[in-house]
Amino acid sequence: MSHQVALTVHGPLGPDADPEGSLDGPLDRALAALAAATPPGKGDFAALGAIHFARVFALPGDDELGVPRSLVYMADVDAPVDDHLRRLAALEDGPLAAVLRCWDGYPDTAHARTRWLREHRIPAAATYVHQVGRDLDRVLAEAELRREIDAFLDTHDWADHTDVEVHRAVRAFVDSRDDLVWALAPPAPPETSFRLREAVHAVALPALGLLGLPVLAPVLPLWLVAIRLLETREVPETAPADPAATAQLLALEERAVQNPFTATGRVKAGVVRRTTIAAVLAGLDYACRHVFHREHLAGVRSIHFARWVPIDGGRRLIFASSYDGSQESYMDDFIDRLAWGINAVFGNGEGFPSTRWLLGGGARDEQAFKNYLRRHQLPSVWYSAYPAVTARTVDDDTRLRDGLRRDLDTAGAQDWLARV
Amino acid sequence: MRRAEVVDREDVQGLVARGYGRLPHASYSLYAIERPGEARALLARWADVVGTAGPAGEGTTLNVALSAAGLRALGIAESRIAGFAAPFVEGMVTEHRSRLLGDTGENDPATWSWGGPRHDPVHVLVLLFAPSPAELDERTAALDREASALRLLVRHDTDALSPHEPFGFADGISQPRVAGLGRDPGGLPAGEFVLGYRNAYGQRTWRPLVPPAADPRGLLPADPDGSGARDLGRNGTYLVVRQLEQDVDGFWDFVRTRTERDGTADPDAAERLAARMVGRWRSGAPLVLTPERDDPRRRTEDFAYGADLDGLRCPRGAHVRRVNPRDALAPVGTTREIVDRHRVLRRGRPYTVPPADGEAARRGLHFLCLGANIARQYEFVQHTWINDPHFDGLRDDADPLVAPRAERGRTFTEQARPVRRRHRGMPAFVRVRGGEYFFLPSRRALRWLGSGDGPGTGAT
Repeated sequence: MSHQVALTVHGPLGPDADPEGSLDGPLDRALAALAAATPPGKGDFAALGAIHFARVFALPGDDELGVPRSLVYMADVDAPVDDHLRRLAALEDGPLAAVLRCWDGYPDTAHARTRWLREHRIPAAATYVHQVGRDLDRVLAEAELRREIDAFLDTHDWADHTDVEVHRAVRAFVDSRDDLVWALAPPAPPETSFRLREAVHAVALPALGLLGLPVLAPVLPLWLVAIRLLETREVPETAPADPAATAQLLALEERAVQNPFTATGRVKAGVVRRTTIAAVLAGLDYACRHVFHREHLAGVRSIHFARWVPIDGGRRLIFASSYDGSQESYMDDFIDRLAWGINAVFGNGEGFPSTRWLLGGGARDEQAFKNYLRRHQLPSVWYSAYPAVTARTVDDDTRLRDGLRRDLDTAGAQDWLARV
Repeated sequence: MRRAEVVDREDVQGLVARGYGRLPHASYSLYAIERPGEARALLARWADVVGTAGPAGEGTTLNVALSAAGLRALGIAESRIAGFAAPFVEGMVTEHRSRLLGDTGENDPATWSWGGPRHDPVHVLVLLFAPSPAELDERTAALDREASALRLLVRHDTDALSPHEPFGFADGISQPRVAGLGRDPGGLPAGEFVLGYRNAYGQRTWRPLVPPAADPRGLLPADPDGSGARDLGRNGTYLVVRQLEQDVDGFWDFVRTRTERDGTADPDAAERLAARMVGRWRSGAPLVLTPERDDPRRRTEDFAYGADLDGLRCPRGAHVRRVNPRDALAPVGTTREIVDRHRVLRRGRPYTVPPADGEAARRGLHFLCLGANIARQYEFVQHTWINDPHFDGLRDDADPLVAPRAERGRTFTEQARPVRRRHRGMPAFVRVRGGEYFFLPSRRALRWLGSGDGPGTGAT
């Protein structure tokens, strides 16, 4: 079993791919062709294998920062990531290869391309995985297991059986099927090296924090006051997004059970904001890896993967996620359940609705917040390997499988049967 | 907790405060604007006669609403219209919105009998409510005379109001209470249902504000936030209209067939399955309170799902549990407040089109609902609670009663011990025949729209 990696490759565009002033150059045409060739669950991404979700998008330039438009490739892949890079580099033709060739200097041979991709990989400052260590094969196999169990239960009349008896009958059924018997064994844990690294990280970061406390403690109140002062001076954007840009985004939504969210924005200037966002993202990454590594992100159960990627030397940030349901319900989840967390990160972004003491206000300004998200959102070509399965269903499938390994008492069997 | 704001009820159209239960006869007339100048004069006249949310009168009542296309036809500047909510500005029919609302396949707007891409856009909706059929006819005739600037597209007659909707179930029992709108001091903040007041987030929902220069006669109320602008939205709200045709025979055939035992009908079992799909018995008694048999005495009793999270008493996918999940959604305890951000005021009435040309009678519901935020209220409920096959952790279960049937969502699951019962291959029992989003203006906004000031100075 392998862990999941948030792969991001970011590179400049070749002059031919993106002629100045053109909104319909080779890149835009290649992206449109790739979108048309990527129906839910299918296309070049599916053929690459071991991808949960992927997206490619043009990242707008920023005149003030002096950066031109560029191209970003993102995939939530099962480790080892190098295998994925090699398969990606091996693509010679097809719509995905045509998009990647828009990168400036993307080489002509697979070998050189692998190296190029490695060199243009950029790290995420924080990554969320709905369940760390559950790879694509397991997601798909457990979904198939559920279908078989459902069908088995439908073919019998269980009225005269106890819960315990039904559970036993299902176990016997799974045991009798050569193609399902794997489910009776526990899933293999992620690689030892990965677990070791995570265990060290789990301890090291708090230890570092404790060591730094004597230095940080006196600074903290000053920092808080500095944040509050900034908050009173900064100007939020409140206007709705441009309707034409929003229409372009809406055209991509509601194609699968999940939807993509990709956005970018500038980090507020100044050392206070820069250090704040770095610290918050480090804390967030820690929380995602060691606290919210199973079934939910601080109570929100609809996010499959998410990542926060600093670019342009930390002056801009990309946020990308794949979530269940409509964007309206996604944004409402943020406002209703996670506003403080959203504020802590995005409150350091230019134009975010005014926060108070970093955690208050902000996203709770419902409409200004929704406008902010839409204004910073980017269209992408997006791929889902399991376009009909919610995160909650994936979790339920896993629990169904976990409940097959032993006989259960009445309460346990009832709880297990409530999941079918 | 903030004190409830007092709503200026005399400025709010009556439909917001009441369903006009004492006026059992109603018709809904849909118009296109032919002559904008005269149409404005008509709106100004109606501003003086529309029924308000103030003390209810006894006689025939008129309410009036406009679509975004209607505002454009009046000559209101696009920059002004852009101040309204995006769903209203765009209208009910866009490609994305059709996916979101489930208006695809046999609900495709191209198949609608009004609205949608194949019919003239609806500009004005006039709702008439009357105590008797004769008085309705009389008022309708007067309407036809005075509305000569408008071209009638469709007139929907409704059935005389009865407590039951066409499938046979008591309807309209559960409505959100609104603070500051009636005698009832409690309830949800007025801003959830009326523009210009504080909503559940303590904010005023976005709405069009007009510079004072565009309102020289001071017809509009001032922006309560003190910006100096005039408030075109205040005391108005949005009105969602959908014509939902109900396959009543199909519904009852379905439950009878699915409950037959060895070819023999079992009426009690059929009744029970129907109730489990709805979440209430015919009388309205909630299944959570009385899961085994109907008990009309409990029809209006308040209830919760907290003790039935597994859905053993009322199936988790049952219709009424989806349109208002109360406390059923995880995490338990926090949901009531969150669920309350997705409520609507329902004002629909059933209709019957009599049989003609060998065709059977057609029955259904003119679904009307009100809310200050279409996206967070009506569209959220339709998409996330009614249509989504994954509602509350279900896997292939769209609303068994009213959802459209796409590739997915064709299962209805009755949770049970030891094993749930799945009904696969669910047919659709409801078909959308038309729909549009409207703005139900305040009386003062009607006067402003009718004055010619707006259109005349609408360049900014």
